[in-house]
Amino acid sequence: MTVSAHQDQGAPLHELRNVMMRFGGVVAVDNLTMAIPKGSVHGLIGPNGAGKTTVINLITGMFFPTEGTIHFAGKRTDGKQPHEIAALGISRTYQNVRLFSGMSALEQVMTGCYLNRDSSLFQSFLGMPIARANWRRVREKAMHLLERVSMADRADELAETLSYGEQRRIEIARALGSDPQLLLLDEPAAGMNQSEAREIGKLVHELCDAGLTVLMVEHNMSMVTEFCQSCTVINFGRLLITGDAATCLADPEVQAAYFGRKKHA
Amino acid sequence: MEMLLDFWAAYSSTVVFAMVNSFIALSMYAVLSAGILSFTTIVFAAIGGFMAAQMIAGAGLPISVAIMGAGLAGLAASVLLAPLFLRLETHWMALASLALVLITRVVVLNAPALTGGVNGMLVPVRVGVMEMAIWLALVALVFYRLHHSWYGLATRAVREDPSVAATMGISTWRIQFIAFAISGAVGGIGGAGMAVTLQFISADTYFLGAAFTMIASTVLGGSFHWFGPIVGAFIFTALPTLMQSIVPSIQDVAKGVVLLVIMIYLPRGLVDPRARKLRKAARERQTLRDHHAPLEPSHDTILPGKTSKEAKA
Ligand SMILES: Nc1ncnc2c1ncn2[C@@H]1O[C@H](COP(=O)(O)OP(=O)(O)OP(=O)(O)O)[C@@H](O)[C@H]1O
Ligand SMILES: [Mg+2]
Repeated sequence: MTVSAHQDQGAPLHELRNVMMRFGGVVAVDNLTMAIPKGSVHGLIGPNGAGKTTVINLITGMFFPTEGTIHFAGKRTDGKQPHEIAALGISRTYQNVRLFSGMSALEQVMTGCYLNRDSSLFQSFLGMPIARANWRRVREKAMHLLERVSMADRADELAETLSYGEQRRIEIARALGSDPQLLLLDEPAAGMNQSEAREIGKLVHELCDAGLTVLMVEHNMSMVTEFCQSCTVINFGRLLITGDAATCLADPEVQAAYFGRKKHA
Repeated sequence: MEMLLDFWAAYSSTVVFAMVNSFIALSMYAVLSAGILSFTTIVFAAIGGFMAAQMIAGAGLPISVAIMGAGLAGLAASVLLAPLFLRLETHWMALASLALVLITRVVVLNAPALTGGVNGMLVPVRVGVMEMAIWLALVALVFYRLHHSWYGLATRAVREDPSVAATMGISTWRIQFIAFAISGAVGGIGGAGMAVTLQFISADTYFLGAAFTMIASTVLGGSFHWFGPIVGAFIFTALPTLMQSIVPSIQDVAKGVVLLVIMIYLPRGLVDPRARKLRKAARERQTLRDHHAPLEPSHDTILPGKTSKEAKA
């Protein structure tokens, strides 16, 4: 997959326009404009506290922006509730894994398939044949997703008994359950070793080839150069530069802001 | 055989009370399982109780019809109340529900035409053990189906982490509204159950005593599976009777002591599916270790964001 092949893919799938997010006196996101090209893996990078997670929270509706607008597939999403935004086709993972305590790996992923259940809560309660058939289908789908993240053999295990890397993979499978158009990954490879991280990178690439658009927050620069076609660099909530990954990372201002403070692989 | 009959004669009323308390505990569980701490069950029980008493004593309707009417009255009340309550943050919701219990008592005392006011109401009939058992079985079946449906999965997600559940497309409001509706219907049935077992109800029937029984049963049995509140209600109802026949002197403190012991040593209650699964996982790891010695490192990672104390439980 070459960089240029993805550069000219036309209209962005997701856009932030002049978005501002203030928490009391703290400006976490400052007049940020960002476009995620459709069908690509877009990196969102910046030093600690730059506002990356806040951007993801804004996109998923967990926070409402103080100013500015957010657009997904031609629709305004700022001001919409998180479950409405999820229903439009946006899904995410969390920087500090947030799986449901007490649920098995399979149940986690099935919960992620909630939007795909194809039968009403009432039909499911009554145990109608169509609801049962749908339940079985979702179960199979969830098993299939667990296979994709190489966790199928741990399907019945409680999330809290799994290792950190395994929990991260379950979380990705859960996020894919709703068949999203846009997947937001908040440091998906954090706490993983190099080979595990590359597995994740390859999975993301496969998903992208299948038509998914991905926004990936990542600290590991080799991951960014290898797996992201384009990226946006922010610092103190402000845009530093956006464009194809290699150009961004070579930019002197980025080097100063990023590598000046933090050394990464 | 004779001993058995004696035993039944002595304790059948305890069994009926235990079943009635099961409804009350299940009503609280219905909202608790969706992440809401609310005492409105007592309000729904009062509405159901006086509704049933009126239908039986006033209109001369059979018990089963009265119980059905009480369930519907509780449902109606909860559907009206839920949109107001769901605007509040969780802890304010708990406080508001408590305030509503106090208000209900005052309303009951001041509406003698409906409730008998300070004199209360006599209910001329008593429900049979079998009939109560059938109602409880029906309600348990409903909870069983809910547990194994999309609603059940969604409530568990909403309870564990509502904002994560929302990013999965689950509408917290909708799930919690349904939870309130179920709580209302079951609470109404429980209130009617109290009316047709106690045969006398007043403002005090649906007040602190009932609230204490409800909380204790749910905490004791556990609120992570529908079977928990039923187990809790049976133990909690039988406890004073048992204590009386064994050591009468400590009967009064027994309830409180048992509750404290459970809260400290079994904070998730007696029926806890997660603890069962964790034990099973530990056993499997053990056998794995026994069979092929140090093949894999252990995976006892704690879910981030949970305290180690909680993870141990
Ligand atoms: N809910 C909140 N309330 C107040 N301040 C917040 C909140 N969320 C984020 N912030 C602040 O916004 C700024 C950006 O935080 P954010 O978590 O988005 O950074 P980040 O780029 O994800 O950093 P990291 O690399 O450490 O994950 C920080 O100064 C943080 O303290
Ligand atoms: Mg972050």
